[in-house]
Amino acid sequence: MFIAEKVGKEWTMDQAPEYAIDHVANSKKNIFEFEFLNSLSEKISNFFGISSESLFYIDLGISKHVFLLFFVSFIVVSTVVTLIQGYISHKKNIPNKFMSIIEMFVIYLREDVLKNFIGDKEYRSWAPLVYTIFFFVLFGNVLGLIPIFDLTGLIGKIGYKAEMLGKDNILYLLSKGGHTVTANVNVTFAIATITFVAFIAAGIQKYGFVQHWKNLAPSGLPWPLYFVVVPIEFMGLFIRPLALTLRLAGNMMGGHIALIIFITFIFSATSELGGLAGFGIAPFSITLALGLTMLELLVAVIQAYVFALLTAVFIGMAIHVDH
Amino acid sequence: MNPLLTPELGTYVWSLVIFMTVLFVLRKYAWNPLLDFLEEREKDIAESLKMAESAKTDLEQIKDESEKILNEAKKEGKAIVGDSKLRAEESAAKILNDAKAKSNEFLDDAKSKIEIEKKRAIKEIKEEVVDLSLELATKVLQRNVKDDDNSKFIKSSLEAVKVDEAKS
Repeated sequence: MFIAEKVGKEWTMDQAPEYAIDHVANSKKNIFEFEFLNSLSEKISNFFGISSESLFYIDLGISKHVFLLFFVSFIVVSTVVTLIQGYISHKKNIPNKFMSIIEMFVIYLREDVLKNFIGDKEYRSWAPLVYTIFFFVLFGNVLGLIPIFDLTGLIGKIGYKAEMLGKDNILYLLSKGGHTVTANVNVTFAIATITFVAFIAAGIQKYGFVQHWKNLAPSGLPWPLYFVVVPIEFMGLFIRPLALTLRLAGNMMGGHIALIIFITFIFSATSELGGLAGFGIAPFSITLALGLTMLELLVAVIQAYVFALLTAVFIGMAIHVDH
Repeated sequence: MNPLLTPELGTYVWSLVIFMTVLFVLRKYAWNPLLDFLEEREKDIAESLKMAESAKTDLEQIKDESEKILNEAKKEGKAIVGDSKLRAEESAAKILNDAKAKSNEFLDDAKSKIEIEKKRAIKEIKEEVVDLSLELATKVLQRNVKDDDNSKFIKSSLEAVKVDEAKS
């Protein structure tokens, strides 16, 4: 009740959407300032002729999401490399619990996705990419569900006065949700770009540069049809990574916003109807949030799988042109 | 602009860099070794399965062969035993026959020798008897002068003959 009343004092109901978006969105300010990164950003932006006020200014500073990206990649690399190296180094060892989960995913992806869509022989060179996408996205999704950095905010809220931390404090900025990196369109777009480059590279590697682009449209159509087919296929080429980008970001973002909105019911009820109403609604709110978190856990795995699957499918489509 | 859809090229560039680094590291230290390991393990399993299968068929073949050999050996043994029995019987019969023939031969030989000896002995006895009778006759003739003497003499001569006969 103490916390709820304290929060309730500063809370109004129409704050909820803004609060949720604030939680999901990237920080407006960098949480770590490095002089060389700032100068590097400026140099690169100047090179491309982008002014610092422009929307497309390349700011290489460590914002909240970039920090989380480092965090996620560190966790992915350390976990996966440690487990796999440990598994391989003594050959007779039975995989431990985590390793057997990884092995299950690896074998499943290899048998049902890679060999199926890319081919029994060609799959080997593209397998690392698909695996990395799967595990990177999976860890990003799942780590976003664990409120590691929200805890810092909670400590800040209860133990210290909010003013003491200040709006520029790392803890304060992180407390705005150490959430999912994969909910940021820029991050997912970057991974989709890699998929895009990969499936074009796969086609060029197999057929050569000219033949690959000729493969875009099926041969043997009556010539007027090419005026329709070629633009459609060409557009399709760029729509694929865009769809990947928005699907993943949208799924992760939507889940998180809904989760936060459910939680804010407590604060809204407290501020509008008093502390007792907040208490009354809390069990429902928390049950809903709990259920949604379970669902999100499922979505996290499914979206990682879908991203990896579609990458494999696109690469396979570039290699096996016979539609 | 909606903060959820703002292009942040910095974040984009960082994402690219970080993802590529993760890809590079995992490819080198995780995926390729793991895939190699899995492939090797699957190959091992397939190979050992194949080996087990071939060992099984080999074993069956060996079993069949050994059974065959055993049967043959049994048959051969029986044949050998039968053969040797036959031969032994044959040779036993032969030996027996030979022995019989030889003993018969010996017997015949002995019989004929005995016969010869007998004939010779009889002949010698006869000659001796003739000699003795002659001697007797001469002695009788010399002592004919006296009757008493004669009869006495005959008696003693006959006794002598008897003693001679007993001696010879």
